[in-house]
Amino acid sequence: MFNLVLAIARNTFREAVRDRVLYNLVLFVMLLTGAAIFIGELSGGQERKIIVDLGLSAMLLFGVFIAIFVGVGLVYKEIERRTIYAIFSKPVGRGEFLVGKYLGLCLTLLVNVLVMGLGVCLALLYVNRGWDPLIISIWPSILLIYFELTIVTAVALLFSSFSSPALSALLTFLIFIIGHFSADLKNLSTLAPSAATRWLLAALYYILPNLANYSFIAGAAHGHSPDPTRLLAATVFAAVFVTVLLASATLVFSRRNFK
Amino acid sequence: MADVPKRKTTSLLLVTVAGLITAASLTHWLDTHTSAPDPTLQEQELYLSAGAARRMSLGFNALVADWYWMRSLQYVGRKILNAREHLELDDLGKLNLKLLAPMLDTATALDPEFIEAYEYAAIVLPPIDVNEAIRITRKGIDANPNAWRLYHQLGYIYWQQRDYATAARIYEQGAAISGAPEWMKAMKARMAVEGGSPATAREIYIRLYEQSGDQKIRDMAWRRLLQLDSAKEIENINKVLNAFRSRTGRCINSWTEIAPAFRAAGLGMDATGAPLDPTNMPYRLLVERCSVELAPQSEIPKH
Repeated sequence: MFNLVLAIARNTFREAVRDRVLYNLVLFVMLLTGAAIFIGELSGGQERKIIVDLGLSAMLLFGVFIAIFVGVGLVYKEIERRTIYAIFSKPVGRGEFLVGKYLGLCLTLLVNVLVMGLGVCLALLYVNRGWDPLIISIWPSILLIYFELTIVTAVALLFSSFSSPALSALLTFLIFIIGHFSADLKNLSTLAPSAATRWLLAALYYILPNLANYSFIAGAAHGHSPDPTRLLAATVFAAVFVTVLLASATLVFSRRNFK
Repeated sequence: MADVPKRKTTSLLLVTVAGLITAASLTHWLDTHTSAPDPTLQEQELYLSAGAARRMSLGFNALVADWYWMRSLQYVGRKILNAREHLELDDLGKLNLKLLAPMLDTATALDPEFIEAYEYAAIVLPPIDVNEAIRITRKGIDANPNAWRLYHQLGYIYWQQRDYATAARIYEQGAAISGAPEWMKAMKARMAVEGGSPATAREIYIRLYEQSGDQKIRDMAWRRLLQLDSAKEIENINKVLNAFRSRTGRCINSWTEIAPAFRAAGLGMDATGAPLDPTNMPYRLLVERCSVELAPQSEIPKH
């Protein structure tokens, strides 16, 4: 079973590479190179901070776009091309198929994030004219960005298991936005006048992922690393939440009729 | 037949290039034929409050903070350029920089650890809005209780307001932070005893020069130190000039008449014997008052 999942994941990764998904790295490199060369004129001595902020924010933004736009097409493309029939004619379960697809895209995102992380380190070396402690301290923050992307990918996959790509992309993007507004949901849940609204908002707060927990870009730019307990909790949360989403996606996808 | 695709490619390329040139020309024409923007509109309040900007930035708050920071620098820089005179960073009160406080407030709300933005607020804002300067610096202290540098900045604001007692208290609080340098303690004592003295001013500017990461603030502190040096030199030169006038009943006709006294006082002089300020620019003699002042071309701040 595990070999089947790995085979699908490998194939999904290859397909993403063939689809030139990693071409965004070229844009990223151009952005960072431009920033490293020109930002000194505009930043009032804050080149290192701005390189880290810009690099990690671009990593998150490009990653979210890949997670959403590639993620929503993972299942849909197979149905559209009718290759899904060939896949399911083999001893491949629907859950294995989804998990394989998910892991393949996560591998693509991992390569993307690693290369971008190295790009930020090189830009820091250039701006600082030598070694910079930020080169080490930004990696825990990059790990958190990666975990956020794995959650967004799982959300995209869940929506794409029962909806059209356009609607799935929209819904996933909304979840990304709401995920960053979680603190407001919690505040509102305590301030709302009616008990039903309070209960609904509190339920939403606990059901939806609090993506603000994965934002540590500002801290990373000041040379801080997230507290290990927070990092561990965020990792466990991502693992649990992704498992829930993949299980739900499998549940929905298992009931889909392709005839 | 083989020429057709080539001709087609050439035509498409020509259309693309010609289109881009036309678009650029039109943009230029529009720029030159549009009336200048209303300055009152440019000075309108920011669309977003600091809190709203923080919420709406999603996970990109650090990047948006950088954008507000750079916008603040551009805003101040543009106003200084338009003023067409040399102004010190700590003396921009007449430039109507009313958007600076909200922009720095937003930058620091988006990135509460942005020490340089608080520092900039502490240096630039006091002549514009001292209450906002104090509020933003205190906000920085609340968000970064271990940043002793912010206590130095806050003490500097109170020192500028000649509130030496509060400044001394702030330096005392800053000195109590672990990792704070010894001079914070000394500054507290000096502030309490001789807050208004040139020696205290010198100490403040030396520390600003040493501690700031912003080259513009360092330059400002350096020029303020030169100003203190030149104030001392002007005092010495005026003493020599007064002594000459008491002795002869007139002011000097040429610098050479008192050159030995300048040499004895260790003052630098140019070929005509005129004493030089710390930037090697000759002081200007005011014969009617029989005193000297900084030459208009001197880079040293005049006030």
